[in-house]
Amino acid sequence: MREAKPISLEEQTEAQVRAIGQADILVGIPSFNNAATIGHVIKTTITGLAKHFPDRRTVLINSDGGSTDGTPDVAVTAGMDLGARLISDRQPLLHRFITPYRGTPGKSHAVRTIFEIARRLTARAGAVVDADLRSMTPEWIELLIRPILDEGFDYVAPYYLQHKYEGMLTTSLVYPLTRALYGVQVRQPIGSDFGFSGALSRHYGEKSAWESDITRFEIDLWMTTEAVASGMRVCQSFLGPKLQELKEQAADLPTLLAEVVGTVFTCMEVHQHVWFSSQGSQPTPLFGFQYEGSAEPAHVNVDRMMASFRRGLADLRPIWEVMLAPETLRALVAAQRPTASRVHIPDEVWARTVYDCAAAFHRRRLNRTHVIKAMTPLYLGRTASFVMETQGLTTREAEERTQRLGQVFEQCKPYLTDRWGPVEEVGS
Amino acid sequence: MNESWERALLEPLATAGTRFLQFLPNLLAAFVILAIGWPLAWALGRGVERALRVLGVDHLADRVGLNAALTRSGLKPDPCHLTGRLFYWSLLVLTVFAALGALDVAAINRATTTLLGYIPYVLTAAVILAVGALLSNYVARSTLIAAVNANVRSATALAGLARWGVLLITLAMALEQLGIAQTIVAVGFGIAFSGIILALALAFGLGARNLAKEALEHQLGLGHRRERSKDELTHL
Repeated sequence: MREAKPISLEEQTEAQVRAIGQADILVGIPSFNNAATIGHVIKTTITGLAKHFPDRRTVLINSDGGSTDGTPDVAVTAGMDLGARLISDRQPLLHRFITPYRGTPGKSHAVRTIFEIARRLTARAGAVVDADLRSMTPEWIELLIRPILDEGFDYVAPYYLQHKYEGMLTTSLVYPLTRALYGVQVRQPIGSDFGFSGALSRHYGEKSAWESDITRFEIDLWMTTEAVASGMRVCQSFLGPKLQELKEQAADLPTLLAEVVGTVFTCMEVHQHVWFSSQGSQPTPLFGFQYEGSAEPAHVNVDRMMASFRRGLADLRPIWEVMLAPETLRALVAAQRPTASRVHIPDEVWARTVYDCAAAFHRRRLNRTHVIKAMTPLYLGRTASFVMETQGLTTREAEERTQRLGQVFEQCKPYLTDRWGPVEEVGS
Repeated sequence: MNESWERALLEPLATAGTRFLQFLPNLLAAFVILAIGWPLAWALGRGVERALRVLGVDHLADRVGLNAALTRSGLKPDPCHLTGRLFYWSLLVLTVFAALGALDVAAINRATTTLLGYIPYVLTAAVILAVGALLSNYVARSTLIAAVNANVRSATALAGLARWGVLLITLAMALEQLGIAQTIVAVGFGIAFSGIILALALAFGLGARNLAKEALEHQLGLGHRRERSKDELTHL
């Protein structure tokens, strides 16, 4: 297995780390052009640390990727009168510094820098929160760090309050697949706010994946997968709703699929020796006070998704014939019902479709980017099917459907191992 | 008189007969070479194919991803068969050249020498065509997937156009390599390529006005809010 190249810190950061020496808790905030929101995130973090961990040595890091909108200036000046907001009158032993990170701008390098600082300060626990959060509260800091300090967990995955049609790619593919593969039920494996133990930050730091596309595109998903696959103790914390600053240039769906599903499939190759023989799954502890969101009807353009699926069936058939097993393709053809203006892709057919695509990706039956991008109409067909099935359901009832899908993925796993072929050693 | 007739008529016939008799062994040798070489080439081709199968090259090709690469290129994923056929055709070409050489005719010898000198160009053209065929398949697939994902109605036609565009460029390059009608090929290719670009521009302008509008709005960040208000489902 290839070792990761050591990461170097900026001279000024090095000096600050040496001056601090040791810390109990470290909170990292990766940023890139977040001047509008980073002030709120820093103030909330400081309040959370002061309120919940007043007697700990804490360090706050803003790892900035070369912002041009004055984000580091806002981060330096963001401060507040803690006295008015503290239950305890003890001031925290808080150090704060800003470090530019080296390498290609991107969250992975920022997070890697944070892990490196955590390693050098021998921090016992840490958390990373996004700099564009609008809904963060001081309790997030406690919920992300307390399970590590008090309960001995290594990784705290976030559990946001979501509408039943939010995060559909996670609901229909990433969650059930991760659950069936690694036997751990982490409901939102792509959450970008998380807690980590000192041991886990060292484990991450040793991985060679930092130099690959996996971490460049989907660092959050990679970290969750790496934690569950390497047997670290994982839990979840309910954080409530997540509201972020709206980004104007969002990636289109095929690109998003290429990044997310590409990362899931690549991680499957890296950890095939872990998941190949595992069966079933275990619930993951959930901390925090969980409550249900509103079940207001959401406007979803189902017709457009069904049209995309049908267009795929009409035009992408020669490509799907290479990717999918004949019986899976037949079941997908049967899933379209033009007379009833409906598409119904049953859970088992969807699970087999995903497994066929994973095997086609692994065995390079087609160019890998082609495999993933050709999944777009399949995913939209499944999403349309899910929306039509759950339109009248509450969020809780829709969640039960998602859990059932996870069980079907687990039951169909022998099909995946058959299609996958022999286990091969792949470097991480 | 009779003698002169005999000399005029029979001597050439006698000479021709003598020459034919002298040439006959060469012709027979050429036939023998062909009669033995052709079935031998066929048998060796099949033998190589079977030997490769017995040695498990099929499985090896599958493991190293060669079969997948052939499938990706739109070819039959059977490297043993392909190698056998390549062997057969190479031996057959050698046999034909050997047979022509056995005839020992000056004109044929010159033609054979010219043909042999032409072989490097033919091989280069063949490589260009092979790479072009692989590239055209890749481009056609990429275009098809992108067009379907962009909800373009005539995705298959667009992919076909992309495939033939690449093949046309490849063909022009191969013909140029072979030195066949270079000017006509260059002019013909220029006209055909310009026509395709013009047709694409017209098709995009007339048939995909809405798509172009949406693409521009997306680039300028104008369509984002409208898109959100249309659909409240999120993927991440």
